[in-house]
Amino acid sequence: MKNEPIVIERKLNATVDEVWKAITDPVVMKNWYFDLPGFKAEVGYEFSFTGGKDENNQYLHLCKITEAVKNKKLSYSWRYDGYEGSSLVTFELTPDGNSTLLKLTHEGLHTFPANPDFAKENFVQGWTEITKALQEFLSKQSV
Amino acid sequence: MKRDAFQAIADPTRREILSMIAHQSLTVNAVAGNFNVSRTAIYKHLKILTECGLVTIYPLGRERFCEARMERLVEVSEWINQYKQFWNSKLNALEYYLGAVKKIPVKKGKRS
Repeated sequence: MKNEPIVIERKLNATVDEVWKAITDPVVMKNWYFDLPGFKAEVGYEFSFTGGKDENNQYLHLCKITEAVKNKKLSYSWRYDGYEGSSLVTFELTPDGNSTLLKLTHEGLHTFPANPDFAKENFVQGWTEITKALQEFLSKQSV
Repeated sequence: MKRDAFQAIADPTRREILSMIAHQSLTVNAVAGNFNVSRTAIYKHLKILTECGLVTIYPLGRERFCEARMERLVEVSEWINQYKQFWNSKLNALEYYLGAVKKIPVKKGKRS
């Protein structure tokens, strides 16, 4: 069984050119994403930034571009300095008239140790059965 | 050491116990009977699960039943939700940015 990735789809009121620029041009990226001077949408390009849910939980993110097809697809690995595991972030653009459908996928999150104190290999095994049980529980609860 | 849900599900036997009782409560003996390891080992796992609040053991007649407290697993799923929240807020910012850019007239200057 596969571990479910995070998939978010948005219809953006902008052309694919504009959206591609927004996700690859560092000058524009700074406005909504992270300040990544020198960012280049080229396979093999590596970048890093510091971020986290709050001031006390800041992590150095290490990313490397694995796929870049102009106006269509951008993928990069996403991992944490000093921690096990690696995930993959993908932006996919599809033109829809003057709008753009953006599909964001973040997969491989289960490879991260959710808590540094506990062993990753134990966690990954069978994570799916637990989340499945949890989802069933949550869906029952929301009825 | 503080016991939490992460620790509870770090072990494959404990995950199996949880899956087993996720839908219906089972007696301690029935749970133990499903494994090829010693009862003592299963009791130890159940003890950890109860200490983490993931399982409640209650007596009924002459039996002791194990009930899964799946709501406690929510704390495990929260970190996945953190990523969802992160991307949603980033994409909101992107949407806002793209919208704001469109509204700026070609000529510079005027502000509302």
